[in-house]
Formats: sequence, C-alpha cells, structure tokens
Amino acid sequence: MLRTLNRLLLALLGLVLLLLGLSALVGALDLPNRWGFGMPSGWAWSRPQEVVLTGADRTQWRDQGWWWPVVIGILALLTLLALWWALSQLRRRRAGELAVSGDESTDRGPGAVLRGRALEQVMGSEAAALDGVSRARVTLVGKRTDPSVRMRVVLDEHAVPDEVVHRLETEVLEHARTSADVGELPAEIRLSSVRHRPSRVN
Amino acid sequence: MSHDSTGPVPTLEKNAPNSAQRAPSPQVDGAPYQPIQRGREDGGGGRFWSARRLPALLASLLALIACALLLYDIVRVRAGSDAASWRRNLADELSSRRLDDTVVIIAAVLALLLGLWLLALALTPGLRSALTMRGEPRVRAAVERNAAALVLRDRAMEVNGVRSASVKVRRSGVRARAEAHFGELDAVRGELTEALQDGVRELGLAREPRLDVRVHRPKQ
Repeated sequence: MLRTLNRLLLALLGLVLLLLGLSALVGALDLPNRWGFGMPSGWAWSRPQEVVLTGADRTQWRDQGWWWPVVIGILALLTLLALWWALSQLRRRRAGELAVSGDESTDRGPGAVLRGRALEQVMGSEAAALDGVSRARVTLVGKRTDPSVRMRVVLDEHAVPDEVVHRLETEVLEHARTSADVGELPAEIRLSSVRHRPSRVN
Repeated sequence: MSHDSTGPVPTLEKNAPNSAQRAPSPQVDGAPYQPIQRGREDGGGGRFWSARRLPALLASLLALIACALLLYDIVRVRAGSDAASWRRNLADELSSRRLDDTVVIIAAVLALLLGLWLLALALTPGLRSALTMRGEPRVRAAVERNAAALVLRDRAMEVNGVRSASVKVRRSGVRARAEAHFGELDAVRGELTEALQDGVRELGLAREPRLDVRVHRPKQ
C-alpha cells in the first residue's frame, strides 16, 4: 500500500532528522556537562567547542580497501530507493482489465475480459443520474480479479448525503456486482459539493 | 474550517415559484428524516487517512537529488578527477564550524523541526475536511465539511423567519448563526435547532457533531 509505504518512510526520515538536530543541540548547549550525563565514548558531539565533522574523522577509513565500495554501494542503493519511491507517487494503481468470470480454475474457459474504463464509465453515469448527484467520477483500483472502487461524487442542491450513499451502494455498486461479477467491489466514497446560492423554499 | 453564509435574501423569494424546481425529498411534508439503518458495524471505520503523496514526492525527490549528486562526484573522484568545489567547501565548513556556531545551531533547530513535522505527517490521518459517514457494510464514505455546511445552510434557510444563515462545520461540531426578521427569537431558535438536527441526520455521520445555534435580529 502506497499509504503505508509513504508514512513509514516519512516517519523514518523524520526520526533521523529529529535525532540529528537533537544530538547537535545537546552538544551545542553543553548539556552532558551541565546535567551530568555521559555520552558514549567516541561520541563526537559532546562539547560545544567540537566541530561538526573533523577532517580526521571524515577520512579515517579512506585507506581501508572496503571503504569506497561500501560508500558507493550504499549511495547507489539509496539513490535507487529514492527514485523508486518518487516514481511510485506518480504511478496510478488503476485496474486496466477485469477478469469477469472471476474463478479461473473452473473449466468455463478463460472467461471474458472487461475493460476497467468501460465499467468505470457505466458506474459513473449511473451514479450521476441519481437524485442529488450532479457529477461522479469512478476509478477502479487494485487486482483484476478483486478490484475496489473509488468514487468522487459532487452533490447537488438539496441532496441528502445519507440517502445518496445508500443508493450508490444498493443501486450503482450492486448493479456492477451482479452484472460484471467482479468480486465484492468494496468502495470508498467521497462526497463534495459546489457552492450554490441559497434558495428559499417553504 | 468550512463556512457557508448567505447575505440577506429578499423576503419575496420565500414563496418564489422556483420551489417547483426542488427535487422531491421525504422531508418536504415536515416529517423528520429517518436515518437509513444499514451502517457498517464498525461505525464508519474511523477517519480517512491521506496517502501523503505530495510530502512523499517532495522528500523522495530531495533525497534522490542529494544521493545522486554525491554518488556522481564520488565516482568521478574515484575515476581520477578532482572533487567538485561544493564538496570541498562542505568539508571545509564541517571541519571549521563549532557546534555552538550560530549557523550550526540554526541548522540543528531546522532539522529538529522538520523531523517533528515529518513525524506528524506520518502519524496523523490528515484529510481534516473529510467527515466520516456511517457508510454501508462494503462502503466507506465521507462527506466534505463544506458540503455538509451547504446541506445544513439549506436546511436553515427553510425555517420560517430566518432571513440569512451562516453555518460553520468544524471537526468538533457545527456552529450556526441566523438572522431572524420576524417571529419570536426563541421560537425561531427552536425550529432552527430542530431543522439542523434533522439536517445532521441527513448527513449520516459516524460521529454526531455538537450543535451550537444562535439566532439574532438583523442590525438596523
């Protein structure tokens, strides 16, 4: 899941930055000395007089045979990871084709293949025709045998949201389930609306 | 915050012919809205969680640029060239700035704040404008706060005596302000509260919001 991945990596990055900033400040404010706690031996940032990174520290492993291969390897790995992370933000997990027969183990043959776009459009126009709905955009995501639905619905004036959701489930989604036989079709629906002038009716 | 208000609308419109345009809905006859009894067992399934696409995109691009530049320069130096000037400058700065240097302290504070911000992004749901609805067994649904405010404002405007209404929907609750140009203030307030309670039921929210209703006379 993109959501879990993003949040995991953001948390990791945040934690690293937090610890980096915190430990630099602890050294800069001379806290180990003032509050009387010791940093691990070899800790470079325990007194305010210390520089951020001495030349000696920076080059201490330069003559070791393993140093450059390891540095280059880790950097290459991080670069690839960052590239993959960036690209996965742009990719849309849209279900292109759906396996309509669902169960491919039976001898019903390969079954029909339904273009995801077609089902999206049918559901979208059926949703837009409902009372209280002005526009609807439907996207199918996930596996081709078990897709799920994302709906963005723009409400009309005098729409009843509770009713709209109920009819989307019992009519639009139910029709798609029975006619296309593409699994449970779990759905996530977001309702919004456009501003309109108040009309006074009694 | 979502906010919807109306300016004073001419009273004549109250019985304007455009009432015919109104879609037939069950509460025209004044009967209270009966919520549909098919909500999810988990009461809507909690908050909607954002995928945090934009922060992730920015963070990944910055990390990509930083790693790629450093990698490129290191490989170039391995191949026999001189290190780029930015890398020599950086090494000089790092080995000359003391920890209590202002620049270092500012950088440390910025790193600390950015880290906290990223952690907050990672751990909080976001999508504060989406109010979770009760949904259906296989459906998770949410209504935007400004859409909810519009629904409630429309209900408020139907109350007799209300000339203009302003409805704010916050995560904590609903605040409605109305101007009544005729009728007893208390009576209008009672009717308005009832209308808004009905409107809130129409929203079908997973968590019932607090309702704060105030009615006043228009300022002369």
